[in-house]
Amino acid sequence: MSQRTMVVDLDRCIGCKSCEVACKQENGVILGCTWNKVLTVGPTGTYPNIQMYYLPTMCQECKEAQCVKVCPTGASYKGEDGTVLIDKEKCIGCRYCMMACPYGVRTFNEETKVVEKCTLCTQLQAVGEQPACVKNCPAGCRFVGDIDDPNSEVAKVIQKAGNENVHVLPDVGNRPSARYILHSKTATWKE
Amino acid sequence: MSIQWPLVFFTLFIGLGCGTFVSSVILTEWYGKAKQIRTISSILAIVSIGVGGMSSTLHLGHPERMFGALGHPTSGIFMESTMSFLLGLTIVVYLLALRRNASDATCKMIGTIGAVLAVGLAFVNGDAYVMASIPAWNTWILPVLYVASAAVMGCFSIDMLLVRSEDADITTLAKVNRVTLIALIIQAILIVAYLVHIAIAPYPDVTRSVTRVLAGNLAILFWGGMVLLGLVVPTALVTKFSRKNNAPLTSVKFGLVSVLVAGVAFRALMFLMGSSIKQFF
Repeated sequence: MSQRTMVVDLDRCIGCKSCEVACKQENGVILGCTWNKVLTVGPTGTYPNIQMYYLPTMCQECKEAQCVKVCPTGASYKGEDGTVLIDKEKCIGCRYCMMACPYGVRTFNEETKVVEKCTLCTQLQAVGEQPACVKNCPAGCRFVGDIDDPNSEVAKVIQKAGNENVHVLPDVGNRPSARYILHSKTATWKE
Repeated sequence: MSIQWPLVFFTLFIGLGCGTFVSSVILTEWYGKAKQIRTISSILAIVSIGVGGMSSTLHLGHPERMFGALGHPTSGIFMESTMSFLLGLTIVVYLLALRRNASDATCKMIGTIGAVLAVGLAFVNGDAYVMASIPAWNTWILPVLYVASAAVMGCFSIDMLLVRSEDADITTLAKVNRVTLIALIIQAILIVAYLVHIAIAPYPDVTRSVTRVLAGNLAILFWGGMVLLGLVVPTALVTKFSRKNNAPLTSVKFGLVSVLVAGVAFRALMFLMGSSIKQFF
């Protein structure tokens, strides 16, 4: 069983938001919609012990994706490689999937009246290219691949970082597959 | 989350329709009282369910694709649509049975089937929102509160129809008032239980805190809408009706409007507290 997902090395992220711009450009994401957003976590602590890190957010490619479960028409589905996708021809725009997503990383396109989300740039991956956010990241902090394959780049990056430095967003039974790497020397991971 | 008005009115009118039909069936078919309101209460119920159903389509970006839901029968939306349709169909059959002077047993059977569907639909309306991603909604109290809200609206609706009919007897009115009072007490208990749930729900956040409900920017909806219009005013009216042994039509209408506004306040408040565990976008 494969699970394509994204791993982000927060130690490297400089918060430049190139990934946001590249995503918008590649996927034609309209004004007001977002498929990928860089947040600033912090600063926390008291001077001189201040901490802060950037958190690029996008679909967490959940293994038990609740958005897929609640979709009344099967428009939200899991592709063969485990990527959560939306068939826009089937979407009725009920936004139930947006409610079911624990991270609020889906967006409603007011022009086409359908829900959209990060697709891991399947159109680029189909021709052997990396997602726009990955190839345009100047810090090289984004990795994409099959997390269930121990020989994949993402699996190797995670293994190299060590379990204690690999973080995941809160899991309420949806089993997010995306991973964040953050060493305590950079900052403490905030739940 | 912003208030999803089409969904607010969808569940409000579905609740009103379900509550009216169940109250009518219990009073007229099970207890054999006030049979003169059977037709008018059923028409009110089916119109209300129809208005609710139409309101829900305003929420959809592409309602023309709705039949695609037939391929995924376990989703909340499919269950709500199917149950609304089945309840509407049962009420039509019930009205036909009344029109053709069917036997009491037949009417009772059809009415009871409809009542069971109505309770189920009111529950499913709330249950569709129970999801782990939204801590303030992730409780069984929510669908039960939807049922209680439907019951209170149904009681006042039946009360209004009874008072409107010229041959309503005082004992029947007194019985309806007693049941309304019980429904209001249950609703009050459920509201307190819901507040407790919000207070102890995991992943606490200011957007879904009890402080925001009781003393923050949701206080007007809670105290003014849910408590004053949803509990205090209807309880005062029902108590007054019971003491004076009568119920002026204007007061009953005011009571119905009051609980309807309270129903809107409750649903609006629910949406405003519906923030995800992490709301990134």
